[in-house]
Amino acid sequence: MSAVDEDEDLEKHSIQLFLLHFLNSVLSESSADSTFPGKMGHSHIMGMNMDMSGGDNSTMPPHHHPTTSSDHSHDHMMMMMPMTFYFGFKNVELLFSGLVINTAGEMAGAFVAVFLLAMFYEGLKIAREGLLRKSQVSIRYNSMPVPGPNGTILMETHKTVGQQMLSFPHLLQTVLHIIQVVISYFLMLIFMTYNGYLCIAVAAGAGTGYFLFSWKKAVVVDITEHCH
Amino acid sequence: MAMHFIFSDEAVLLFDFWSVHSPTGMALSVLVILLLAVLYESIKVGKARLLYQALMNLSIPTSQQLIEAADQDSSSSDSLPVSRSPLRWFLCHFGQSLLHVAQVVVGYFVMLAVMSYNTWIFFGVVLGSAGCSQGIASSWKLSAEASACSLEF
Repeated sequence: MSAVDEDEDLEKHSIQLFLLHFLNSVLSESSADSTFPGKMGHSHIMGMNMDMSGGDNSTMPPHHHPTTSSDHSHDHMMMMMPMTFYFGFKNVELLFSGLVINTAGEMAGAFVAVFLLAMFYEGLKIAREGLLRKSQVSIRYNSMPVPGPNGTILMETHKTVGQQMLSFPHLLQTVLHIIQVVISYFLMLIFMTYNGYLCIAVAAGAGTGYFLFSWKKAVVVDITEHCH
Repeated sequence: MAMHFIFSDEAVLLFDFWSVHSPTGMALSVLVILLLAVLYESIKVGKARLLYQALMNLSIPTSQQLIEAADQDSSSSDSLPVSRSPLRWFLCHFGQSLLHVAQVVVGYFVMLAVMSYNTWIFFGVVLGSAGCSQGIASSWKLSAEASACSLEF
């Protein structure tokens, strides 16, 4: 990076800082917090459009404004969204507006919760696979004697048995699938916070879940896997 | 932060230090992201392959396995010979879990890169994963399925 660029960056940085202070002083009643280590998006207050995508704000001194989550103006202010990975536990919004992490303890709790959620996701995935295979095996055994006399292929009978849409296994599969989709989206959104701790929690949870739950899968089930 | 796809040679990808300002930088980033997508696909296939290997070792160590083992890479071939011992199998399973973690992380990285809404990056991801899955998966899975099916029936 050349010196000119650096100068420009510095200038931009100071302008951003000035704007932040300005906003803070004007909107002091709204307790809008500027302590977030990431970049600021758009604030809709006063129709003002602040774009701070240029500079590096990680060196910004933290302002200690007490954040009250019950504040009314909280709704008007879009949460500042970081666009790169960072480590921090101040003002991390987790999925819901009520779940804002501000202390190390809360972050530890969130870490454990996310870890368990990711583990549960892996377990659910593998359990669903096992259930599906179990029902398929029973179907296959049911249809075994049928194609014998004809000499026709196994696939046909497979289809006729499998077409019961309102069977219990299929409903169970559907419900489990809904849960799985929701959890996977939650995990994705958690990863999208770009918070290093939470991302590590997601990855570690996935690994641990896979490690714990896929014992059986590796031993029993996978012989038939490649032939469907 | 754009909420729609744009053609631009400016982007900030994943990390603070990975900010792109020039066309060459963008080309380089697209290349890196493409490789990341390729890595994701190959981890996926490699995991399935490792599982398959471990399974084959557990069930019947035939002579065909030994032939296949000859052209395997080191990570899976060192789990081959003494496969019966639980420690070996534990290690294999552990390695597989690590592969799974890598898969999850790389997958999320690719997702986040796409979420920069930069069209070039998006093309890189699509090209990488499509081309790679076309290449590796088809070449390997066919042989695997053939041998697995011959084993089953």
